[in-house]
Amino acid sequence: MPYDTEQRFGEIVACGDDLLAVSISNTVEAQRLADALIASGDWLEAVAGIESVVVQFDAARMDCQSAENALAEALDLDTEPVSGETELVEIPVVYGGEYGPDFDWVCERQGLGPDELIALHTGTEYTVDLVGFTPGFAFIGGLDSRLDVPRRDEPRQRLEAGSVGIAGGRTGLYALAVPGGWQIIGRTSATLFDAEADPPNRLTAGTRVRFVAIAPENL
Amino acid sequence: MTIHVRKAGLLTTIQAAPRGGLRHIGVPASGAADPLSLALANRLVGNDLLAPALEASLVGPSLEFDKDAAFALTGAQAKAQLNGEPVPFHETVHAKRGDRLEVGSAETGARIYVAVAGGLMADETLGSMSTYLPAAFGGYHGRALADGDVLQSRKGTAENLRTPENFRPPITSRWMLRLCRSAETNRLVEGQRSVIFQSHWLIGNRADRMGLELQGATLDVDSSGRLPSAPVFPGTIQCPEDGKPFLLGVDAQTIGGYPRIGQVARADRHLIGQMRPGDHIQFLPRQPQDAVNELRLKHDYWRQWLPGIEAVI
Repeated sequence: MPYDTEQRFGEIVACGDDLLAVSISNTVEAQRLADALIASGDWLEAVAGIESVVVQFDAARMDCQSAENALAEALDLDTEPVSGETELVEIPVVYGGEYGPDFDWVCERQGLGPDELIALHTGTEYTVDLVGFTPGFAFIGGLDSRLDVPRRDEPRQRLEAGSVGIAGGRTGLYALAVPGGWQIIGRTSATLFDAEADPPNRLTAGTRVRFVAIAPENL
Repeated sequence: MTIHVRKAGLLTTIQAAPRGGLRHIGVPASGAADPLSLALANRLVGNDLLAPALEASLVGPSLEFDKDAAFALTGAQAKAQLNGEPVPFHETVHAKRGDRLEVGSAETGARIYVAVAGGLMADETLGSMSTYLPAAFGGYHGRALADGDVLQSRKGTAENLRTPENFRPPITSRWMLRLCRSAETNRLVEGQRSVIFQSHWLIGNRADRMGLELQGATLDVDSSGRLPSAPVFPGTIQCPEDGKPFLLGVDAQTIGGYPRIGQVARADRHLIGQMRPGDHIQFLPRQPQDAVNELRLKHDYWRQWLPGIEAVI
């Protein structure tokens, strides 16, 4: 059952006893919707994915059907569309070598020289789609189609904090040392997460980003 | 009061309440992997149910108290001694100045909780004192305890209590988890959904606070077309292309890229924290509202010994 005549949202589906998902095609809009839902205080969690938002309700107080009705109502109200000029953040990156263990593989697979890869990755202004996965991790869309590579078949058990990965048409910034499956082409010295800062994430949905190549000694 | 950590154990952290309402900025829940056992320990020493306490994975710590102190042990089954004399789990224990508590290895279950009257002092980050190791915040300087660390606790007094027998959760190596459908359950090819419930699952060696590897059947997931990364939660079962599912724990990341084929019901998520490599799991199918009704029955039961249980499980 569609809840929105403009078809901006898909149907609401249960994804657990206390979780409801709604699909939404625009990632930045999904993040804004999640922010608005969590700010309402009606939900324990409201989290955006690339093409969906999932809410967690308090099943001690709320039944599944009433939660679904409440979410449908909240979608009707919805948030303002994204507007206004957002900040431009430069992210310094050391490309290749020990800092980018998949750099050479990407060059070879895509038929690019090292300089070409760096020029392609630094030559565009991007917009952050989504923050999540771990604190500080940013999904940044708009990658040049010549850099469209799949994830690694087997994820690495541990990536260094600051790893810059590409996969599925996006750049991903690993703020923390965690396991990960993206193709790592470099590393940034930028602080992406600071628990004491407000907000703790350096980047948020809609932030404009440009990558700048730096020498290893500047890392 | 000061507590000296003589031996830290394998992976011992300070855990308390989870971080709530922050998954939209990428901050996981963390908190006790088995919050019910944390609450039971705190109850015995007069603390708030989710006051900061020690969570030891598989191997318990050795601690020395520099003043008289009351403590309580709950969770995984293990042997414990105070100055060489056996001490029970699920009872308030009064230690004297200089006493040494030695907690052994977990025989059954995965996590042992040590609560101290007054509660441990811990770093509060983003609204919780629980340790989140990947980002190195909360708890004891954001890290696991090491031999020689020094802990501080607040002042507290405790009367002598024993957990009634009927409120001691069974710690086993054979678990049953109620499971609801998730967003990509329909990506399991024909007949595979019943395989989840008919299979005998074993926990693999990759098991930590982030998640557990499930061994048993290899599931056939339709992964045609790239799946856009989507929100995941503690209790979510994801299944990568290789057909080997894994079950997410309290430190689960907020977004994942693999099909979500099931979600453990809220009522049973606390059990995940006691599961260890080699344990057996059977999944029981539940409709969402049935699982919600069962959660409330569980709350009604536990409220008799743990008022405020709704904040715990």
